[in-house]
Amino acid sequence: MMPIWTKSGEKHAVTLLKVQDCHVLRYVSKEESGGKTAKLLVGGKNVSPFSKPESAHEIFKEAGVPRKQKVTTFNVTDDAIIKPGTPLYAAHFRPGQFVDVTSKTIGKGFQGVVKRWGFKGQPASHGQTKTHRRPGAISTNKAAKVYHGKKMPGKMGNIYRTSFGLKVWRINTKHDIIYVNGSVPGHTNCLVKVRDSKLPTYKDCNKNPPFPTFFADGDEELPEDLFDEEIFQFTDPSVTLA
Amino acid sequence: RVSSDGKPPKFQPPPKPVVIDRKTQKEERRFLSPEFIPPRGRTDPLKYYIERKDMIQRRKVFNIPEFYVGHVLAVTTADPYASDKSKRFVGICIQRGGKGLGATFVLRNVIEDQGVEICYELYSPRIQAIEVLKLEKRLDENLMYLRDALPEYSTFNVNMKPVPRMDLEEIPVNKLQVRMKPKPWSKRWERPKYNIKGIKFELPEHKMKAAKKWSQPWLEFDMLREYDTSKIEEKIRKELSEELEK
Repeated sequence: MMPIWTKSGEKHAVTLLKVQDCHVLRYVSKEESGGKTAKLLVGGKNVSPFSKPESAHEIFKEAGVPRKQKVTTFNVTDDAIIKPGTPLYAAHFRPGQFVDVTSKTIGKGFQGVVKRWGFKGQPASHGQTKTHRRPGAISTNKAAKVYHGKKMPGKMGNIYRTSFGLKVWRINTKHDIIYVNGSVPGHTNCLVKVRDSKLPTYKDCNKNPPFPTFFADGDEELPEDLFDEEIFQFTDPSVTLA
Repeated sequence: RVSSDGKPPKFQPPPKPVVIDRKTQKEERRFLSPEFIPPRGRTDPLKYYIERKDMIQRRKVFNIPEFYVGHVLAVTTADPYASDKSKRFVGICIQRGGKGLGATFVLRNVIEDQGVEICYELYSPRIQAIEVLKLEKRLDENLMYLRDALPEYSTFNVNMKPVPRMDLEEIPVNKLQVRMKPKPWSKRWERPKYNIKGIKFELPEHKMKAAKKWSQPWLEFDMLREYDTSKIEEKIRKELSEELEK
């Protein structure tokens, strides 16, 4: 995570996400998947092929791509279908877009009710016998049972969570890095899924994005760094508020 | 001298003078700002490389002078609420923290009997100028104890003139021992974990002895805590000098 400054001098915290060896693996049509839209399977980050059996390598062999660590699905409209085997780059996103980021949260192991659900526990003194971080009562007398989903101690973390509506501030096309506003679930160097935001406020946000994706062998020559309009670039002199 | 024949001895030219190149010697003492050294961790080094590129870019446009803890600096920042839209603050640097673009330094001064500390970010675009008014290192790297010292040690004239300095000289170390206000202090500065050499402790002997109880003499032999930055520093220095000359 890094600080970033706007032209008015305000500071925002930014997370760096690297797009590492992403390829489209397979196209699943609407009827095949049984959903409302077609799906594209995308894999990221190359990994050694020797730790999985040959049967698991079929998808990768069809696409002609080394084995990937993570395979995710993206719901895609029919005009945005991409041929399997095309590489995806960070330039697929543009500064000023809004994005949802999904990832597995940091695993905390088996945790008690105070840390896991934020219960208040009991006082430290005034006669409490061996009861300081316990849940207390779990149900009422009339219910005569414990409801499903009662908050109790258990394994915390290591589940998929999404941060919605994160602004993309800057894109580095040389190293394929996306600068995303705020924090993102997961530990450092973990795998993350970045998707156009589904929030209704940002529905009409993308003005001329690269559609269906950014192709590196095309005619477009992008500069090394793409900045949002409001970012203070370090090539400019210091901010003077008039 | 006894000559071989009766003739005078052959003219021996004087030995050639040995030239000590001052420039190469100066380069060995180069200063590397502490925020360039990456902390120990599991982050990808690519992140530090990209951050360094941004830091170098900022340093090309705006001059960040070499300074240590104990220097007296004057910082002009852009302020939307001031009448001139800019604000100048003079103070002694008591601490330099943070790594990478978020590096900060805290300046302290006593203005009209009120102690004021302001934490500035080195790479913030609001900073318009940093001037070093007085160069002197102190005995410690963290001067937070000035909060509990007598206010005369933290007062600096706001209209101080910059003290002139020769470029090639070593930065002088001020071995000042500061006198403190009566206890209680904000932190127990006599304890060995702070390792402060710049205070003149006027505490009774038994209190100083009792404070030594909290010393951890095994820490200096702990090999897992060692972080040898010499090779990293060399690489970064090379990178910096190459980039800044462009």
